[in-house]
Amino acid sequence: MSKLNETDIQGFVLRGYNLPVARYLFLRFEGAARARKLIGRLLSEITTGQRWDGVKPQSTVNIAFTHRGLERLELPDATLLSFPVEFQQGMRHRAEILGDCGVNSPDHWEEIWREDRVDAWIGINGVTGESLEARCAATLSLINETGGATAISSQDAAAVVINGKPTTSEHFGYTDGFGNPDYLGIERSTQPGQGKLMPNRTWAPLATGELLLGYADEAGELPVAPIPHLLASNGTFMVYRKLHQNVATFRAYLDKQSLLYGGGKEKLAAKFIGRWRDGTPLELSPDHPDQAIVQNSNRNTDFTYGADAEGNRCPIGAHIRRVHPRDAFGFNGQLINRRRITRRGLPYGRFVPEGEPVDDTEERGIIFMVLNASLSRQFEFVQQQWVQYGNDARLGNDKDMLLGSHGGTGRFVVQGEARPSNPPFVCSNLPDFVELRGGDYFFLPSITALGMIAMGLVDPR
Amino acid sequence: MPNKNGSVYGLTILSPIIEDKSATPSHDLQIRNYLAHLSTREESPFAQAPGTHLARLVVMDDVIYVGAPACEDHLKSKYLIFESNCDGDLDSYLSGLAENIPDHLDAVWKHCVGYPGAVNRPAFINYMKACQLDTTFFFAAVNDKTVTETLRALQTQNAVADFIATHQGVDAVTLQREFIEFVAHLKAMPPPKPGSMGPHRDIKTGGRNE
Repeated sequence: MSKLNETDIQGFVLRGYNLPVARYLFLRFEGAARARKLIGRLLSEITTGQRWDGVKPQSTVNIAFTHRGLERLELPDATLLSFPVEFQQGMRHRAEILGDCGVNSPDHWEEIWREDRVDAWIGINGVTGESLEARCAATLSLINETGGATAISSQDAAAVVINGKPTTSEHFGYTDGFGNPDYLGIERSTQPGQGKLMPNRTWAPLATGELLLGYADEAGELPVAPIPHLLASNGTFMVYRKLHQNVATFRAYLDKQSLLYGGGKEKLAAKFIGRWRDGTPLELSPDHPDQAIVQNSNRNTDFTYGADAEGNRCPIGAHIRRVHPRDAFGFNGQLINRRRITRRGLPYGRFVPEGEPVDDTEERGIIFMVLNASLSRQFEFVQQQWVQYGNDARLGNDKDMLLGSHGGTGRFVVQGEARPSNPPFVCSNLPDFVELRGGDYFFLPSITALGMIAMGLVDPR
Repeated sequence: MPNKNGSVYGLTILSPIIEDKSATPSHDLQIRNYLAHLSTREESPFAQAPGTHLARLVVMDDVIYVGAPACEDHLKSKYLIFESNCDGDLDSYLSGLAENIPDHLDAVWKHCVGYPGAVNRPAFINYMKACQLDTTFFFAAVNDKTVTETLRALQTQNAVADFIATHQGVDAVTLQREFIEFVAHLKAMPPPKPGSMGPHRDIKTGGRNE
């Protein structure tokens, strides 16, 4: 397949910007005509997927809409009704399907997400706090000039800074952000382990249609998309989830369980996720962290589970094995190629180093964003079947250790073996380590589609 | 054996539904209505009778042929489809149904042509067999174990997992004593009721989430 038109695709879709600070603005549109005018004015500001060729911009801007937002922009009914049902319903209405219950249920969400108030998301990333503030101010003045929207809320996020340097660490202390999938036609520095597994054990890019609308997916079909084709093509769907992290609960639980676990605290922490906290995959180095692997992009995502069917090295229910099972279900991994998601996001809230007092009630967590062509087939499936349920991995009703909605019940099994340094272990009475604070489903259109929306030219006939 | 896979039987029954213009509502609608109100889990009729791993009842209105060359074919009648993955031999399974849930069977099959009623056991079994088709190929995710064995295994698995989780780090003497007590207790427990072991899930479908 030929190269994609990077000038038509929002940059946020094609690559993680790797910029350390971000602000997400949540807009409510004020009058369709003025809102369309606002989009028209924003159009030249939107960061596209064109390569930066070494010169990184100081800041980036991207935009996405809820179904409500598209309604308020007065897209034709025939277009609005052609969107997939789950996008029309929005994430709150899908809570039951997603297992967003208990402390994660919409009743506990932040106010803007409890009601249908958010029409659009504007994501702004910056190299520094100053460049971020400047771009936000410019964007807000555009919003005010046109009167097309009100910024009803915003969310700041930033890379965790340790020893003065932005890192890819998150609040539980794990190094995050390894291995998004590769897709055909998207130029990025690829590394083994990031696409789909081939019968000869090499890795190849996934079909473009697993990420972008308008292209063939892994089944050779065009993903379900709204009409007209031009509105959908080069666009994608985004999930936005604000995940609060109960760091005090996590640290206390890990400390308490470590007293019983023979492998030591850091190994137990590694078993939860499938990587040591420095990022070393357990599958490649089961007994100790190894920075030589972490720093080597040809190695740090290049592994499979076929030789570890019993979970002796990486537990069968470890987070990374659940959400990206690679070859764990057999058939050379082909069962999972239509369940892959691209992840974006940054932590929010103050980072508290180990050993310092920390409180669950403080604002702290991760803004987790997913990009995929089909919300129901990709994100919702992973969340429902692999995070909130264990049957595919033959783990019965067990849920993901850190992301599952446990409410003090449930179990996480470290399979282990006879060696005293790698014993079997069962974690039970699991608290909710992570709590959902809100979010929604968004449509992230192409530059062409944004222009059509701005000009009122969306025509489903 | 086209209907057996190990010890599991794959039963397929197609019973023609009575076509009676004077019936209000029609017989197929009466079956649909009854099926829609059936209980699930432990209260399901198929949990009350022994030996069912999985069963389903479907009303088939018609199968319309739409391929080339152009022609239009229809079934001669509407059918009630009964499919079941069950234990053991067919006669004893059908007898078990007739014994334990005769009212449900009669309420459904009385709308089918030639149904003799569950009370007349030999006639009932003959009727069901007369309506049977060879299943030929089926999948039953039950590891070649009976329903009772499967329920027992789930019960044991849950109990052992709980025991392990609550006894980590316990000294060897206490552990052995409590394990012996635990095994005796487990052996004495009655097997769980069919339909009782699944988690309570609000979603009725397995993998589909539309």
